[in-house]
Amino acid sequence: MPFKKAGAFIRRDFLIELSYKSAFLMSLGGMFMSVLTFFFIAKLFGKAAAPYLQEYGGDYFPFVLIGIAFSSFLGAGLGTTSSAIRQEQMLGTLEAMLITPTRASAIAVYLSLWNFIYSSFNVLIYLLMGKFVFGLAFSISRPWLILAILLLSIVSFSSIGIIFSSFILIFKRGNPLNWIISSSFELLGGIYYPIAILPGPLQTISQLLPVTHALKALRSVLLGGQTFAQVRTEIMVLLAFSVVLFPLAIVAFEYALKWAKKDGSLGRY
Amino acid sequence: MSEPAAVVTRDLTKYFTAATDLRNFIPRAFKRKPPVKAVDGVNLRVEQGEIFGLLGPNGAGKTTLIKMLCTMIIPTSGEAHVDGHDIVRNGGSVRKSIGLVTGEERSFYWRLSGKENLRFFGTLYGLEAREIKKKIDELVDLLEMGEYADRRFDEYSTGMKQHLAVARCLLNDARILFMDEPTKSLDFHSARKLRRFIKERIVGQERKTVIFTTHNLQEAADFVDRIALMDKGRIKALGTVRELKEKIKNPEATMDEIFEHFI
Repeated sequence: MPFKKAGAFIRRDFLIELSYKSAFLMSLGGMFMSVLTFFFIAKLFGKAAAPYLQEYGGDYFPFVLIGIAFSSFLGAGLGTTSSAIRQEQMLGTLEAMLITPTRASAIAVYLSLWNFIYSSFNVLIYLLMGKFVFGLAFSISRPWLILAILLLSIVSFSSIGIIFSSFILIFKRGNPLNWIISSSFELLGGIYYPIAILPGPLQTISQLLPVTHALKALRSVLLGGQTFAQVRTEIMVLLAFSVVLFPLAIVAFEYALKWAKKDGSLGRY
Repeated sequence: MSEPAAVVTRDLTKYFTAATDLRNFIPRAFKRKPPVKAVDGVNLRVEQGEIFGLLGPNGAGKTTLIKMLCTMIIPTSGEAHVDGHDIVRNGGSVRKSIGLVTGEERSFYWRLSGKENLRFFGTLYGLEAREIKKKIDELVDLLEMGEYADRRFDEYSTGMKQHLAVARCLLNDARILFMDEPTKSLDFHSARKLRRFIKERIVGQERKTVIFTTHNLQEAADFVDRIALMDKGRIKALGTVRELKEKIKNPEATMDEIFEHFI
């Protein structure tokens, strides 16, 4: 039954997305423009960034393309559940869902599924654009390894997102943590530049972020053709983040839900 | 073994504090407004198969009481059992036994059709795909939704939106249905049709229990088996219309007179 319920959420969100026909085309256009922007920025740098990018082949454009592709994933993970909860509150559908026997924490997980599917599709589009429009070469001989990295990233990021949504349940809006964490991930996670150029203390902080390890592993596999043994450390770190963060997220959400029920504000926004 | 009562409450109470913000988490640091008593020591028993009316002015605590019984609000004190299950300790079991209809026009996905909405919620109720399809076809027919079922929710009239809300609460074949002012937005004819459907079909044939809130006195008098009059969180009077008239020693009393006597 959990898979059927997950399927129901995905189907619902897909149908709603489909009803906004022009939005998809516009988002494709937006993606192309951002890739083009970084293409020309990479051209400006030339080989200047090469010393910091040796392990990724030395070229800035493929490095940053993977970063911006992955950042849509990151955004989906961190922001989806909390914005979905808020949307359900505003639509008046949150109570209608919570009055069913389906567990609330399961609903919190299901709410983010479509966005992850959509973001995975975006990642694919970015990579296909890189390959067929800009002539980049990616190593895709280990698709299962790429999938494992993405799946562990989904669990880590969406766990953080579920914790954020707990704030929405209680405070209704104004989630400052979301902004702080998202900005930290962007600044320190290696999305737009290698963390090697950061000062020492910031490099240490960046090692505490799951995005740093996810991007390192993804780039190593896609650009360096590395094997599981070579990215094993990053995979283990992502697994540890997932194992710790996911149960924490469930506990936080259940606590926030109980608080909202005591406060009587579950349906308010 | 006899069936448990549909609803039993004992001294059920709910206080609300001021709106939640960060100050609520810092004890004694800020002066707070006194809590509001929304439901105050309510004692009720609703039997299986009854249509039970909860009447009162706006702000009487009717919706808060319904939401507690539906496990959407946790009581401050007291206890309640719905279909034999404790609303706090066995919330999951309560939710399997109940359905809820409100007078709100929201609570559906506006860009999906009626059928797609029902299909989604049917899955959340744990129904299998084949079961959902069969149930949806039955309910669309029963509630005379016709072609509306395949149209987007945002194209529905108010009356049709209520029909869909009733269809949703019947999806899981719940024994106990809570209806919070379901006729609020309906015209006279649609409201009467809905009440007839509830009385003859849902309760008369399907033997379900309906707890129905309204602030329309005449609607209550014509429709429910027993009434609880509620004001400022407390039950002021409880019984059939005839019993309430006997209590005020006026067998010809109108509902307005009954209401004014107790509220």
